[in-house]
This record gives sequence, C-alpha cells and structure tokens, in this order.
Amino acid sequence: MIYLDNAATSGAKPREVKNAVNYALNYLSANPGRSGHKASFDAANAVFSVRSKVHKLFNSESENSVCFVGNCTAAINYVLQGNLGQGDHILISSLEHNAVYRPLFSMAQDGRITFDVVNIDVNSPDTCVSEFERKIKNNTKMIFVTAASNVTGTKLPLKQLGLLCKQKNIMFAVDAAQAAGHIEINMKELGIDFLCVAAHKGLFAPMGTGILIADKPIKNVIIKGGTGVDSMNPIQPEILPEGVESGTLNVPGICGIGGGIDFLKRIEKVKPLQQEKQLLSNLYYGLRRIGAELYTDDPSREIYLPVLSFNIKARSGEETARYLASKNIAVRGGFHCAPLAHKTIGTADRGTVRVSPSFLNYSEEIEKLLYYIKKL
Amino acid sequence: MNGNMIITGTITYAIRGRDILRNNSYRASVERNLTGNKRYGCGYGISVIGDIDKAVQILREHNIKILDIAPQI
Repeated sequence: MIYLDNAATSGAKPREVKNAVNYALNYLSANPGRSGHKASFDAANAVFSVRSKVHKLFNSESENSVCFVGNCTAAINYVLQGNLGQGDHILISSLEHNAVYRPLFSMAQDGRITFDVVNIDVNSPDTCVSEFERKIKNNTKMIFVTAASNVTGTKLPLKQLGLLCKQKNIMFAVDAAQAAGHIEINMKELGIDFLCVAAHKGLFAPMGTGILIADKPIKNVIIKGGTGVDSMNPIQPEILPEGVESGTLNVPGICGIGGGIDFLKRIEKVKPLQQEKQLLSNLYYGLRRIGAELYTDDPSREIYLPVLSFNIKARSGEETARYLASKNIAVRGGFHCAPLAHKTIGTADRGTVRVSPSFLNYSEEIEKLLYYIKKL
Repeated sequence: MNGNMIITGTITYAIRGRDILRNNSYRASVERNLTGNKRYGCGYGISVIGDIDKAVQILREHNIKILDIAPQI
C-alpha cells in the first residue's frame, strides 16, 4: 500500500516507538502514581521521563505542564470547557477542526459563551492578525487557533497572535495536531498558554495518545476522579498534571510518545519536512498539468505544512479517495472534520481529496498516484 | 540514618524535586507519604538526607510545591 494519510495518523511507527511500547508492556505493567512498590515507581519514573522530553521539546514551563490525555480532541475540550465561563467570548480561525468548533458551538447553544470566527486567507495567512485584533471585545478571554490546517496545510501566524494575546491580556491556545513534530513550537517564545498535541501524528506515537501542555491552570477539569493525590478530599485537585489525569494512565502509549521524540531526534539531520514538501510540490505541479482543482499555492512555500487538498473533474473528494483506495493508495476524502475550512476554500459541497505524505514516501509513489488520477 | 520527608503530594512534584536535589548533591528518593498520610491523604514525598532547610530552599526556587516537612518514619 502507498500510505499518504499521515495527517490522520502517521502510518509507519518507528522502532523506537515499538521498542518503548513493548518495554512498557513487558516491564511497566503497574499503576504509576498510585502505589509505593517498585513496579509502580518504575512506571512513574518512565512516565516522568516522557514528561521531561515533551517539556523540553515544546519549551513549556515545566514537566508539571505536561498532561497525558486520550487524544488531541480531549486536550482541546479540557482547555475550552475548563477555562471558558458564563459570558466569555472567544475568537477562532476559519480553519478550525470540529475538535474546536463543536465544543464551542455546543457551549454557545447553551448560552454560556459567544464566539467569532476570523476568516483566513489560506494563501496569505499573516493578514489575519489585524482581523483578530479588530474582533477582540471586552469579554474576549481566549484566542484558539490551529497551528496548521488539516485541509490546506496553511500555517497560522502563531508568533504575531501570541504577541497580540499578550498585549490584550487574553489566553492563547493552539491546536498543534498537524504541526507538532513537523515544526519547532516553542511555547515560551510564541506566548502559547495551552498547546494541544496529537502524539500519534507528527510524534509517531501509538493512536490514543494526546497531550495537553498547560502553562496556565485549568480551572474546571471536565473529567474528575481518582488522581492518587489528596484522596480523602471530595474536591478534584487543580494541581497539574494529576488534576487532569484522573484514572489510570496509558503507560505503553506514553512510553511510545517518548520513543517518537527519540525518533524525531534521530531523523533531524535528514530534514523530513523538506522532503515531504518536495514530494507534495511535485504532486502539485503534476495535478496542475492535468487540470485538477487546487486550493493553495505551491506546497513548498514556507506558509504550508505538507498537506494538500485537491479535486478532479466533477467528482467529490470521497469518490476520488475511494477510487484511489481501490488502487491501494491511502488518502483521505471528504470533509476532514473541518466544515469551516471547507467553507473557507469553497468546497463545502463536495469536500476534497487530501494527500499528506511522510518523508518515508518515495517520489515514485507520488508518480503512481498521479498516474491513476490521470486515468480517471 | 533517618532523614526527612518533604511532602509534595503528587508523584510529578516528587520526581522533579528528587532530580533537582540529586543535581545538587543530595541523597534523595521518592517515597510514599506515610508521615502525613492522615492529613494529606494519599500521595508522595521526597526522602532527603542532609541539610533540609537548604533542600527546601532549592526546591522552592524551582517552584516545587511543598505541602509539609516531617521526620522520616
């Protein structure tokens, strides 16, 4: 199979990840942070060592900021539902995933909050900053944006938005599902208060691994329960990370995150992002030659991560993806859980085909994809 | 030789604190909190041998949350 769906989850898990998961299953089957026996301490030390790696990778405040959760969507919900209260206003971009949009929509339906969507030019995202500034109200509590669109790969100007939030004294939260592991995200430098990570994508960890990195408190934790701390107190502790990590942790998955970060360090020198963007650029010009509908500029431009959407002839994205699946080529078709993004690029009626290679793909595989699309 | 227990409550603070103290040449280990168990419920602490006042100061400089200090049982 030719796997080109890495924006959904990284297709090939490296040996560092497999070894770390395997080690955890063999030697760390005990509950970290709950008991005082050696096996529990071994598991706790292993979890802490991954917290430490994550903290260093994203330059968060400390290891205490790093909370392990089930997925990026859970991390986003902790931020939104944990920090927005009655009467608060929030600004988001027009490229947000349903992980952000649906919780906000629901909170707005309940009359708890209001929100506005700032339109993003997918080929000139920097122009959005003044629009964000214009839409800030007295009760605006947070700006929440994706680091990069899961439909177009467009990167948002995090540095400028972080600065704006600092100037206006509002919280800045970022959905790094597509960006973490691909580009450097330095929380302190970018002024990010909350970073949500899908570790199974750019960090190559197993599925079911998400990270919430919170450099500010989470005031109302949505999942409450046992934390191994202050057990006789019926009130959920606010202390991080334990306050957000009720229930038993996914130790094998967390160890897999550590393995993924080790892998990223090993491959640093081969410049994976550059390779992925080159592959997509080749695809882009191939698609252009055969008259495909494209919604962005050349993917090799600095403003994009390696995600490309297109359509061919009058087909829907889903139809084209199904055809390619029949040729053993894995891409994603449809709306990618991002209705706002499709409204932004004008594809709300038929979605797109999304191609997201990894540096492990070959240029011959991109040529094969083009070959089958030409035959349509 | 019995040392002191710096009660941190959470395992994360305890491990962070242990590593910081070890980097400052202390003999430190993470242990289940027995000394303040009734008062603080379940949790962890750092068992330390050496100058406890200095150890506490170092931990506070690194924003380690300390609930209590008690002689090790």
